[in-house]
Amino acid sequence: MRIDPVWVVAAVVAAFALLGTTLRSVVYESVELSTAATVFAGIFVQALPFLALGVTLSALLAIVVTPDRLARWLPRRPSAAVLTAAVSGAALPGCECGSVPLARRQFRDGVLGSAALTFMLAAPAINPIVVVSTAVAFPGQPLMVVARVAASLLTAVVMGLAWLRWGRTEWITRRLPPVCAEQGPRWRMFVEAARHDFLVASSYLVIGAAAAAALHVLVPKWVFERLSGQLLLGVLVMAVLAVVLALCSEGDAFVAAGLTMVPLVPRLVFLVVGPAIDIKLFAMQAGMFGRAFAVRFAPATFVVATAMGTIVGLVVLGSGW
Amino acid sequence: MSRESENTLLLLIGLATGMITITGAFTRYVKPALMPWLYVTAAVLIGLALAAMIDDVRRRANHEGHQGHSHANLVTWLLLLPVVVLIFITPPALLPQASVPSVRTVPTEALRRPFAPLPAGRAPEVPIPSVMLRAAQDSAGTLNDRLITVVGFTVHDGDAVGLGRLVVMCCAADAQLAQVHLGGALAAEARRYPEYTWLRAEGIVQPGPANGDSSVIPTLEVAALAEIEPPEDAYA
Repeated sequence: MRIDPVWVVAAVVAAFALLGTTLRSVVYESVELSTAATVFAGIFVQALPFLALGVTLSALLAIVVTPDRLARWLPRRPSAAVLTAAVSGAALPGCECGSVPLARRQFRDGVLGSAALTFMLAAPAINPIVVVSTAVAFPGQPLMVVARVAASLLTAVVMGLAWLRWGRTEWITRRLPPVCAEQGPRWRMFVEAARHDFLVASSYLVIGAAAAAALHVLVPKWVFERLSGQLLLGVLVMAVLAVVLALCSEGDAFVAAGLTMVPLVPRLVFLVVGPAIDIKLFAMQAGMFGRAFAVRFAPATFVVATAMGTIVGLVVLGSGW
Repeated sequence: MSRESENTLLLLIGLATGMITITGAFTRYVKPALMPWLYVTAAVLIGLALAAMIDDVRRRANHEGHQGHSHANLVTWLLLLPVVVLIFITPPALLPQASVPSVRTVPTEALRRPFAPLPAGRAPEVPIPSVMLRAAQDSAGTLNDRLITVVGFTVHDGDAVGLGRLVVMCCAADAQLAQVHLGGALAAEARRYPEYTWLRAEGIVQPGPANGDSSVIPTLEVAALAEIEPPEDAYA
């Protein structure tokens, strides 16, 4: 006899309910465990509204915007299309978690694909909320805001053009259930697209948030204090930290502002790398696009974002470091 | 994983989100300002799950071929983790040891400017991050010779003892520690409390350099001290 999996879910939940008190006291008694659990809950809960917004928007778009319609809206020339996609990233306020499912839904072969990826990288870094919070975190330093927007836009455009040149569609192994194939009324298409995207994106978010929470507890604090006056080492360490800490793009400026012992350019790199690629985004990309895609796209994004952050930082902030 | 269990998990995530929002536990993880969005999120997720469930039941009743074979994979089971963490464990607010970089919070590159006057009253309560900002950057001197009330937990910082508050900008992952040191005769009494005891202190902030450098921790000359219950919203 086949057991209905719903009963498995119910049984597991019931088991945890019985074990709840024990589990709770184990977590509460250890500083490391409770910190990790709180950070995990923080990253996950913070991402949920943006994920819900992202999948709702992308499911609506999937019904309304057909590929040929989107192709008509975007400029013909590939470079102009990528540029348009990067700038229109400013229109999606929020953290980075929402833009991954959105980009996946709009992904197509060719120019539309690179436009979608460009949008995915640009939106979390240059939207109004992030720009304002960066300005608030670095008062009296408008150049920091300018540098962040410029370096993030450059990263998104370079990655978009690189995808156009070298990207292969066969790396994208995860197929979405095609919306149009679902028969029935439009609300059913919407529900199917939204629930599928949410389930995939959020389950990979769990992996990313758990990894970030573990590393939060494991990265020693002295790392931050040894970086004064060392540009290259500082840039590298801050770029890696941006990946490891997986902060949301609305709050990372405040953390960067607080790290006063670190020079400005590495802190800019931290702000450029974080929204483009971090451990939770890597997990979500692997889930929504496929592993073959994520293991190529994520490291490339990391290198490009680090380089752009450093170059723009040295040009705009200059001797400030 | 079957469609039914996927929908159940979706429903559980929605319920967990709604639950921590109603009980107020969510303020341990994210900014209180996120509350309306968490309600919207819970409603969207529960709505999606119920719509898919009802649709499945109806389609089965009508003997429409069951379209809904699962597209997701085993990873979806991981969604049990946040359900367990949020509903059954509900981890506590962060302890001060957890903050990312230690000690200070506010950016030093700020400009000196006149701050708005403190609220009226004998000893208005001023949040610790605001005390640090005013001490470093206030050209109007609103803290000078003014009795204020500060609420925070004890932090033993070398020989000094201070009151601290964790500051959360976006979620618990970016928490940072803001603190004032305690000075005067009553500071010795404060040092006798174990670390992470919540206290309310009345006192006057000693005039500092006010040179815009907020990495200097201001000191409060304590006039009165009392132990209190931990506040509902742990973060400043």
